[in-house]
Amino acid sequence: MKWVSYGPNALLVEFADRLGDEAFARGRSIVAALERRPPEGLVEFVPGFTSVLLEFDPLVVPDPKARVLEWMAMLKSAISTPAGEGELKTLPVTYDGPDLERVARQGGLTPEMVVALHSGRVYKVYVLGFSPGFPYLGDLDPRLQTPRLATPRTRVPAGSVAIGGEHTGIYPTETAGGWNLIGRTPRVLFDPGRASAGEHGREAFLLRPGDRVQFVPQPGGAMPPAGNPSPAS
Amino acid sequence: MSLDVLYVLDPGLGLHLQDRGRVGWRRFGIPQGGAMDSHAADWANRLLDNPTGTAVLELLLQGAKLAALRPVWIAITGADAGCPLPTWRAIQLQADDVISFPRNLLGVWTYIAVEGGFIDDPLFGSVSASPRVKLGRTFTRGSILRRSERRSFSLPPGVAGRSVPHSEHPDYSRTPVLRVWPGPQWEAFPPSARIAFLNQPWRVSSRCDRTGYRLEGQALGAGGGQILSEPVKVGSVQVPPDGQPIVTLNDGPTMGGYPKLALVDPGDLGRLVQCRGGQQVRFTLAK
Repeated sequence: MKWVSYGPNALLVEFADRLGDEAFARGRSIVAALERRPPEGLVEFVPGFTSVLLEFDPLVVPDPKARVLEWMAMLKSAISTPAGEGELKTLPVTYDGPDLERVARQGGLTPEMVVALHSGRVYKVYVLGFSPGFPYLGDLDPRLQTPRLATPRTRVPAGSVAIGGEHTGIYPTETAGGWNLIGRTPRVLFDPGRASAGEHGREAFLLRPGDRVQFVPQPGGAMPPAGNPSPAS
Repeated sequence: MSLDVLYVLDPGLGLHLQDRGRVGWRRFGIPQGGAMDSHAADWANRLLDNPTGTAVLELLLQGAKLAALRPVWIAITGADAGCPLPTWRAIQLQADDVISFPRNLLGVWTYIAVEGGFIDDPLFGSVSASPRVKLGRTFTRGSILRRSERRSFSLPPGVAGRSVPHSEHPDYSRTPVLRVWPGPQWEAFPPSARIAFLNQPWRVSSRCDRTGYRLEGQALGAGGGQILSEPVKVGSVQVPPDGQPIVTLNDGPTMGGYPKLALVDPGDLGRLVQCRGGQQVRFTLAK
């Protein structure tokens, strides 16, 4: 594990050098450890795919570098303790997005094959980011990886299932966005009404980092070709 | 308990409540939010004995017009938007008094604090508005702003007024020199790019909002290249492939794939955000 200073009150700790199952498991263990026993003065942590940002209250921890050995030891011990397997959540998807044809074309696939590949594996929720409850899911089949739009759309509807580079994700709220839209889900990913105070605020999010996700194609959009059903259909 | 205090005659270019924001929720994709210029917002509260972090109104540039619904103490700080009332001091409005901000003269964000503090329904511990992700309330013509009844303000007998010391009142027309710290990819940039970053004045672009401020100047050679998306701290100087830096701000994304050359010192972000499009800023390494 490596760390680097990120301004006067923060550190960025790299806990893996590439995406994959090991990075995912380590990230989960670190989040679990930080939630269980946050280091003194920690005001915020933001996990990424292979790194975690730790921010400290300058009044409690005036110089984070001075205490980095202690925290690195804590994080190292955390990653040697595997966290339990994340919850599996199934999401119905109608594959009728405006970019489905283009994603298929650039991968040399038919829309039906895109659906079969996209719904044919279980994804890991690596992180939430960009907007409230927006999940970055991986790992995406390389044949589906599609660059983001050169010019983002000013309005992407809530529930849009999308592909951005090497990730797939879901827009929880209507925002601007540059990912390729391949389908939509009726499930509500971010509902501030479900949030109450304190730690129960997390009830607002359908998906949380560490969860696993399976998409289930719905009639009304493209379906996997006959004889090649996706495991969950 | 609350009292109706201000009535929105015109929201202008933008009028939202801001407090200290939603610290601790960024890992769920919730932006930090909060007042863009906390120096000005804090002084507005301090003038009225409100605790730091009490919600204030944040006005973008110009056009806002409000009417008082009852006698109330307020304090206006931040950008000069042509308001004829005294600013950077506690003032008392009478019912039906109108406060207007007809034209932006200096700075970007104006703050109004009210005695007792504005109140609204909090979400994730804050009433701050983050319009990009549709959190918090957007006020329109006819909206009513409420204040808490728990505290009220008055000056002690024999005290004529209360104002912000002149030394704490920034001159937004000057080119600020902002302290920066090395970012996570500082070492990945060639020394020439770091020197170019520190040695030239940067022009603030007209494409700036609560998400981030774009800077224009002699392009920094592609240095850090492309990295896997990683957590982004508010105040990060990100360098996209075109070499023109973007400073990520309160409502910016929590993750990003551009290399982060530097971090603007949290104490200097207020001076950056008060620079209008076309104004210049300079950077110096913090010690």
